[in-house]
Amino acid sequence: MKVLRTIAAMLASCGVVVAAEPGDLWSLKPIGIVQAPAPAASWERNAIDTLIGGNSPQQADRRSLVRRASYDLTGLPPAGALVQKFVADPRPDADAFVDVVESMLASKHYGEHWARHWLDVVRYADTAGENSDHPLPHAWRYRNWVIDAFNDDKPYDEFVEEQIAGDLLERGGSESIIATGYLAIARRFGHDIDQSMHLTYDDAIDNLGKAFLGLSISCARCHDHKHDPIPTRDYYALYGVLESTKFSFPGCEPKQQPRDLVPIASGDALAEIQAWEKQRDILKAKADAELKTQGASAKALKDLAAQNAKTISKGDVLDAGSVLVTGKAIELKVRMGEALQLSILPRASHGADTTVLEFSITQGEKTWSTSDLLDGLLDGNPNGTWCFLDMADDPKFLSQRHESLDGKSELQAWKGGDTPSVFVNTSNDPVKMWTTLPPRTFFVHPGPRGPVALAWLSPIDGAVSIHLKISDGHPGGDGVAWQLEHFSSPGIADAYRNLGTSSSHQAALAKHAATMPALSVAYAVAEGKPTETKLQLRGDPEDLGEEVPRAFLSALGGGILGSDQSSGRLELAERIANRDNPLTARVMANRIWAWHFGTGIVATPNDFGNHGAPPTHPQLLDFLAREFMNKDWSIKSMHRLVMNSATYQQSAREYSLMAPRRISAEELRDTLLVASDSLDRVPGEGHPFPPESSWSFTQHNPFSAEFPTDKRSVYVMRKRNRSSRFCALFNAADPNASTASRDVTTAATQALYFMNDPFFHSCAKKFSSRILAHAEDTRARLDFACMELFARPSTDDEVTVFEEFATALAAPEVEIWNAYARVLLGSNELLHID
Amino acid sequence: MPHHQHPDRRKFVRSFVAGSTLMPGILSQLAAAESDPLAPKSPHFPAKAKNVIFLFMTGGVSHVDTFDPKPNLTRDVGKEVKLDHPEIKNRPGYERIFLKAPQWEFSPQANCGTEVSSLFPHVGSCMDDIALIRSMHTDHSNHYNATLGMHTGSFAFARPSIGSWVSYGLGTLNKNLPSFITIAPAQTYAGTQIYASDFLPGAHQGTLVVPGPEPIANVKPRIGTDRQQFELAALQKLNRQHLASRGSHHLAEARMRSFETAFGMQMEAPEAFDFSKESEATHELYGLQRGATKGFAWQCLAARRLIERGVRFVELIDTGSSGNWDSHGNMKDHESLARNVDQPIAGLLKDLKSRGMLDDTLVVWTTEFGRTPFNNKADAAGREHHNWAFSSWLAGAGVKGGTTHGTTDEYGISPEEDPVHVHDFHATILHLMGLDHEHLTYRHSGRDYRLTDVFGKVVDGVLS
Repeated sequence: MKVLRTIAAMLASCGVVVAAEPGDLWSLKPIGIVQAPAPAASWERNAIDTLIGGNSPQQADRRSLVRRASYDLTGLPPAGALVQKFVADPRPDADAFVDVVESMLASKHYGEHWARHWLDVVRYADTAGENSDHPLPHAWRYRNWVIDAFNDDKPYDEFVEEQIAGDLLERGGSESIIATGYLAIARRFGHDIDQSMHLTYDDAIDNLGKAFLGLSISCARCHDHKHDPIPTRDYYALYGVLESTKFSFPGCEPKQQPRDLVPIASGDALAEIQAWEKQRDILKAKADAELKTQGASAKALKDLAAQNAKTISKGDVLDAGSVLVTGKAIELKVRMGEALQLSILPRASHGADTTVLEFSITQGEKTWSTSDLLDGLLDGNPNGTWCFLDMADDPKFLSQRHESLDGKSELQAWKGGDTPSVFVNTSNDPVKMWTTLPPRTFFVHPGPRGPVALAWLSPIDGAVSIHLKISDGHPGGDGVAWQLEHFSSPGIADAYRNLGTSSSHQAALAKHAATMPALSVAYAVAEGKPTETKLQLRGDPEDLGEEVPRAFLSALGGGILGSDQSSGRLELAERIANRDNPLTARVMANRIWAWHFGTGIVATPNDFGNHGAPPTHPQLLDFLAREFMNKDWSIKSMHRLVMNSATYQQSAREYSLMAPRRISAEELRDTLLVASDSLDRVPGEGHPFPPESSWSFTQHNPFSAEFPTDKRSVYVMRKRNRSSRFCALFNAADPNASTASRDVTTAATQALYFMNDPFFHSCAKKFSSRILAHAEDTRARLDFACMELFARPSTDDEVTVFEEFATALAAPEVEIWNAYARVLLGSNELLHID
Repeated sequence: MPHHQHPDRRKFVRSFVAGSTLMPGILSQLAAAESDPLAPKSPHFPAKAKNVIFLFMTGGVSHVDTFDPKPNLTRDVGKEVKLDHPEIKNRPGYERIFLKAPQWEFSPQANCGTEVSSLFPHVGSCMDDIALIRSMHTDHSNHYNATLGMHTGSFAFARPSIGSWVSYGLGTLNKNLPSFITIAPAQTYAGTQIYASDFLPGAHQGTLVVPGPEPIANVKPRIGTDRQQFELAALQKLNRQHLASRGSHHLAEARMRSFETAFGMQMEAPEAFDFSKESEATHELYGLQRGATKGFAWQCLAARRLIERGVRFVELIDTGSSGNWDSHGNMKDHESLARNVDQPIAGLLKDLKSRGMLDDTLVVWTTEFGRTPFNNKADAAGREHHNWAFSSWLAGAGVKGGTTHGTTDEYGISPEEDPVHVHDFHATILHLMGLDHEHLTYRHSGRDYRLTDVFGKVVDGVLS
């Protein structure tokens, strides 16, 4: 019922029914051949100018132009030397500017900035977006692949092909496998994401349509598209291609560990992983053999325990409760080789709880205590006289050794799966996890299906006194139950040890699994099982209609994709990255235009359908699209074409083609880092996520870290479910949906940032020290500051403002300049590009 | 740079600052410029409510233990029921389910006699002002999805929050404060998405207030405000020079105004969160200790003060994504959670009423879903997620107090009369704000989006 509702909603909200035939939609008509017309007026420098026509635009001054070009191409302020060189260049503006463009296209910062545009479109994020927002530790490889693709001027048709089917291309290699991270980063949904893959496929189809074709294909999920020629069958024809593809799995609450990551190793790394795999296979064979014999050991232990078991004490610990079991110490006689076993059981209905144990056995001077285990828990299992066991079904030793939990090395554990577990906080401070774990504490956590147990194998004969306190370590759950038993069969310690030895290979395997070479996989896709999908009636995955063969969009000629041997991704990639596809070149040419001018020739770069905006200059768009393809789909050649036009170089005016623009969140942060001389220009790689083996993210306790860095903003870790305050404040792209162009808003809370934010203040202070160090003279200092930020020397009026300000402030010089640095860094001239 | 005292410094200082537009008189009188997304806008039709206080209890409040009395649950406790319920499908060990009795007594409250359990004695005393909806239902039984749905009308995808929609529809009444404020001690399910503007202009984004010494980020001046005035004056002088050499530049102009607003916010926001001038009686009404800077009572009084100052939409969230109403383990947890909010909520309603503010303020109380009237054992201590039925209520402007709307079946399992879906609930809130939920749209990616998607029907039964 709920699915229906959602889908029907999407359906109806797609709007009014407009009869749409393929022939009606301008963007589906073949790209016209527009002969580059001869210049009609002397100001026209290239075909762009001629096709725009009109009056001679006013050429922008060189300083504005170099600043504009620098932010446009690199997202950073221009270097002083470059500005000086350009301003002093005796050649005409147009000739001198050619060199400016070339030098910026050659900068590695170009790729970082233009990749950010593309990453907006493909809604790139470093987390999966499901209920617990699992990290994607390998997604960065795709991000860096995009950066490299722009820097290397990878032909756009190859850029497209590799993102959809890089793993299937003959030119292949690990780089093009990484490129398919494009598909893998599709958003994940729900609690168990395997249950909601239909939504992930929808997200992927939606993005594929918008990013490459400017079509809102996912409107056809529940009904034929209301105003574009996309029937529902077309949607499921593409859906089948994705369903036949295996997506890397990021992990989710019930299935914490990632799987289906795609190996990308080559050369040494490949040898390394092969060696690792070989060792794994050996250990696995031993562990498997061990499992077969283990049954016998477990049975021996069980039988022996059953023969002479005596329950000493049992009861419940209610939610948030704490029970001192031994208000008066229990006195007991034991013999060497017997065992005491304390089981902690899940209580009530809902799994179990983190439980704090204080358990000790004393004889005279000698005490064996769980507090002894705080240091050296990982020495082994059995650990001296102690054994840690999973008691669901047959007894099993907890075999997975964790040197940290969620990356926190003060926490160490023995686990069997996610739970049951035995773990310690070794630190003298509390550690905040799913709940706050008190310092120097020993914990157990029962499993979902049964108890966790702690066995003490007696090394002595005689009377002992037992102390036991059990406390709920995570209030808000069900509490737990306990049972303390004495197994008075003298051979039972050996039975435990036999079982422990008989799981040593499993422990070795688990330990080895945690050492998988981390650099050798990509979050990407691979071929899955080729499947023909069935139509989902009104988008309901439980209400299936007829089978739909995998095929390309009918409005673009249709045609079967894939076979019983292949998903069809390769053919899909070829159909999109194709000169005959009327949309691909147009959509990207329009994006490039829009990212230079702020507005596209088609004002809706993600929507070339009937509800999108029509092109304001259709001939120009077709000319650019043809030129793009004829220049071997080179994006850099498009920059040259655009930026060397008089149209681009005109002086910025509101409501004209070249309007002033606000810098983006990333440009702002990067500019502040440059001004304070603290930008780390080395490209970023992965983020310091906690190791995968330690993950235990839930919707109650989702992944929510932030990782500070001085690298460029494109390298800052982005989460889907918890956006950073800075990103939200300055309208960075929401990584949950494709962003074709940034929203620009002005809010008082942004102004507060420039008034009071600690990071802003610290950047201003550093900028101020640079100014002070640069010169003694006020004018020289102002010139330096304005040159750094605005690519121009200071004006007389500014000198007046400064001097009046200094007088009014009547403070020591350093304070005056710290304050004035804030004024300059918060000024409209810094925030806007002419 | 010499920094000796200028002979006529005082006069000079005055003129330096006066030359900027940072004069207090101007702050509140800023003209509502066309380009300002927060400029006040007329509603679609005359509104009953000007402001909203949205009280969100996170984790899933059990309806059958609070606002929906089910004597038959007590009578038939332990009886097995057969249902195709999401919790049964999703949770091993739930193959068989049995009715579980409510743990708190219900009794008629106020003059209207609406029955409320002993968990909410204070709110109970306000039932004459409350329209209680006992037939709420929602689409999803996961916290994340249901919480997202209650805030955005979308159960899977990120969409604008209801507060952002109201801000977008009506603008703000006080430019010195954000139009939409969310006060929450911790992040709840779905994180920042529940107060995000998503595709709506960013100015409609909810501003997060975390109870504590600095409620709004960066609102506390990092330097003395005297000195800051000089900086802002210098900034505006540079900005005016920048503007003068460029002619029209609406982005630059809007940004100049934003500093004036921010300066005002810096003054006004701390004042809004400074309760020192509130009387003992008021503190007592909310159950708030003088000097406290957090707790739900603090949040409630802050909400009244923000509404008083013209903030359009204030949401209060009681807890975070853990330690909340999600009482799987033990329903007894509901006691402390109810105690945390009961008196503050009643205090808020009474305070608003005595000040005449309840006439134009809508107070909404809800949670993301209810809890199962059954469990896999009749004596299970907890209850599971239940999206088929739950209770929510409205009070204040345009609301018919002392009424109940809709019913559930004899066990509180499903709505029986007048089911109210989350979309209907949203439509009703917008209606009370003078907004037609079918016409409050925003064009995004080629589609006109609404808070209520293509659903929603105003619940006439709760309107006065």
